[in-house]
Amino acid sequence: MLKFFTPAFGFLLQEVTSGRFAAAWEKAQHPDLSKFLTIGALLFIIGVAGVLTRRNIIVIFMSIELILNAANLNFIAMSRYLQDTGNVNAVAGQIFAVFVIVVAAAEAAIGLGIVIALYRNKETIWVDEIDILKW
Amino acid sequence: MILTGWEAVFFWVFSIAAIFAGLLTVMARNTIHSALFLISALVSVAALFILLHAEFIAGVQILVYVGGVMVLFLFVIMLVNVGSEERGSEEIFNRPRQVTTSVIFCALLVAGLIYAVNMGYEGFLKRDGDKIQDAVAQSQSRDRNLDKSATGASRITKETERIGNSLYRYASLPFEIASVLLLVAIIGSVMLARTLKQEAAVDDVDPEVLQKEAANDGELVEVQPEPIA
Repeated sequence: MLKFFTPAFGFLLQEVTSGRFAAAWEKAQHPDLSKFLTIGALLFIIGVAGVLTRRNIIVIFMSIELILNAANLNFIAMSRYLQDTGNVNAVAGQIFAVFVIVVAAAEAAIGLGIVIALYRNKETIWVDEIDILKW
Repeated sequence: MILTGWEAVFFWVFSIAAIFAGLLTVMARNTIHSALFLISALVSVAALFILLHAEFIAGVQILVYVGGVMVLFLFVIMLVNVGSEERGSEEIFNRPRQVTTSVIFCALLVAGLIYAVNMGYEGFLKRDGDKIQDAVAQSQSRDRNLDKSATGASRITKETERIGNSLYRYASLPFEIASVLLLVAIIGSVMLARTLKQEAAVDDVDPEVLQKEAANDGELVEVQPEPIA
């Protein structure tokens, strides 16, 4: 048992102190643009997965909000990056984020109105039962 | 843009919170739990905006999303609440084959995206790595030169001022178009959500026409349109 664990511990210790883990830990202490973009990508993918897999139309709408928020995060991270690399007045990304929020609010209002009208007519919020072409 | 010290700690806390809350939004069985997890995801993303020095967008995010859109969502959820979802008698996901395909698709997409982000960022670093290092040093000295707030506990940034300037100077036409879009959305959602009864009452339908219609549609029978004086 000890014979197996000693080299394993030695390897881990070496990796932590000087190897790849140390490099990753060093990078993790200083998050940069790529970390923000990665978080944005992960949120986007979670939203896409929600849209593709859920049956409840309201949860699908909420996943769309998550997707739009991931896009906002990318916009603002890139805007910050551009400001740091020379162009002090590069706030176009933030302005675009404002418009994305406006469009998301309009989309939510219209979409929820459609949900209410649909529920009144068909008594269901499951998207696989709202296949009007097959009616 | 490189975060250091406590900023880095807060970055990890809020990004992990955002991702977990996002996952739970998609996987929660109860729709109201879904909405509450989405609210926590949005608040975490707003905190990330503050770390990016976008305080105005963070405030707008909290006010508009959490205060407006999510309350609307919660109202609609309670309006159409079916209940069979929480009791566990309904399947919340699509058929297994569809779910498997979409999860595989999403895994491929996330691998591709993360690879692309890291490769692209290496290119960025080659192009302007020096500027990024300079910006870290400059931003600290710039933060120290900002005006103090009235209590002296914090400093006042010029970020919101700059956004307002650019918004009205370079994006005033899109701004006006956005306001028209919101107006259309308000009217559209009111028109979509009202019932047949409300429509008949508001449109001041002629009683004879209404009775003719009522013969075809049982819902209209009780409607008594009042004449507008």
